[in-house]
Amino acid sequence: MTIDETVTASRRSRLAAHLFTLAFLLAWWIYGQFVEAYVMPGPWAVAVRLGEFFSDPAMVAHMFVSFGHIIGAVAISFTVGFALALLPYYLPVCHHMVHGRLSPFLNSFSGIGWTLLAVVWFGINHVTVIFAISMVLTPFAIINLREGLDNLDAELLEMSASFDRNRARLFRLVLLPALYPFIFATLRVSFGVAWKVALTAELFGGSSGLGYLFNLARQDFDTPLVLAVIIIIIAFVFSTDRFVFAPLQSRLAGHRGD
Amino acid sequence: MATDRSPASSGSEPPVTLWGRLLGEGLVLAAIVGWWLLSLGLPDYIIPSPWQVVEGVYSLFFDPVKAEHTLISTLRVLGSVVVATALGGALALLPRWFGFTDLIVHQRIQPFLSSFPSAGWAILGIIWFGNSTPSVMFVQVAILTPFCLVNVAEGLRELDRELIEMGTSFTRARRRVFFKLVVPLLAPYVMAAVRIAYGVGWKIALVSELFGADRGLGFLMLEAQILSDATTVFSTCFAIVLIFILGERLIINPLTRLAANP
Repeated sequence: MTIDETVTASRRSRLAAHLFTLAFLLAWWIYGQFVEAYVMPGPWAVAVRLGEFFSDPAMVAHMFVSFGHIIGAVAISFTVGFALALLPYYLPVCHHMVHGRLSPFLNSFSGIGWTLLAVVWFGINHVTVIFAISMVLTPFAIINLREGLDNLDAELLEMSASFDRNRARLFRLVLLPALYPFIFATLRVSFGVAWKVALTAELFGGSSGLGYLFNLARQDFDTPLVLAVIIIIIAFVFSTDRFVFAPLQSRLAGHRGD
Repeated sequence: MATDRSPASSGSEPPVTLWGRLLGEGLVLAAIVGWWLLSLGLPDYIIPSPWQVVEGVYSLFFDPVKAEHTLISTLRVLGSVVVATALGGALALLPRWFGFTDLIVHQRIQPFLSSFPSAGWAILGIIWFGNSTPSVMFVQVAILTPFCLVNVAEGLRELDRELIEMGTSFTRARRRVFFKLVVPLLAPYVMAAVRIAYGVGWKIALVSELFGADRGLGFLMLEAQILSDATTVFSTCFAIVLIFILGERLIINPLTRLAANP
């Protein structure tokens, strides 16, 4: 394919993508004309509700509560997952315990189950929400970071160990930088999955947050609010992934020489 | 290179030493004993005893009324995995057949589906389709499709171009090249997609049964939680763990081996 052909193909592809977005909005609007507003409100009604959302401080507060839940859960699951992934690395005898027993169990336990059990154990509050999200994210962190530890450059580690026997120094200056791409991959995956489960956890176990708002909207048949919240989440998840995690991860991968 | 790996796919395991095994099984034993001791001092609606939960799990498989919930959920998850894999695979292949759809699939549909919250699908599912199995399946397929799409698209990116080129130099029949070369090369990625979708199906997509169903393990769990029946919530969670492991060993692993060595 010549350069001209490639440019033309890329232009066609971009035009097709924009047309697809327009067609989607048009189809949504047309469908909204034929069904009840609570089944599918039109794009305009949702846009108006979105405007109302951002002009109401109480609703914006719910959004920040959800951010807090997610950041808290990602931080906890990452710390626990990292510690559990490092345990067999430094103590190989723990390999079967962590990767053969604990990780598969956590990995196969239902996210809904954690939420419902957390409601019974801790009541309806922030602890329940953060606990439920963290339990879903922890196996993702263990397995991604294990992948990183398994792929470490053994020769680099051997060489650095020949220069210095101080394990803490080796961890800080060699192991941790070598793990950066995996650390960011873990944070990226965790962040994406956290949004998927956070709303469910807030819906059943929270007294605030977007999931709680979802529940109120569902009970009031306020579908424009349901769709407005969904749009906020899609916009936030997409832009964070595209403009924060992806460039950061590719920069780190570049540093590592991948 | 760092990958966005799902827990569904883990690497090869080193041999387990005697001490390693003792420590691993010791953890399981300690967890059960700790749980039992905890249950002695707390009411059943907070922590039921392990024996009550074992009975509960047994009834979920062998009591005809409860087993129906288990069977329905299993069939729904399996059905949704098949549909989501087919749909995700078709979407991933679309740009290969129609080049102009590349950005539509990878910059419109995939980010949209990947960022869509699962509870959002669950609520919309019940508003649009009411309380029914199609509603549950719709929600599950909507949640699982982006995982399948990402995996199959990754497989397509990794396809050995030289091998495909060589294939096309032997025959111009695109269908023949597709079935004889692309499909076998893509099979491991499709199986990775199936594996991930199966895991996510049980872990996350079961949310669909909390709203849009009057049968199934999700429904049973929610009903039990409302009635403060922690034994059934625990039993259902452990039954899911069992079904998940059985499904991986009896269906997914053999199919993965088959895909790796066609």
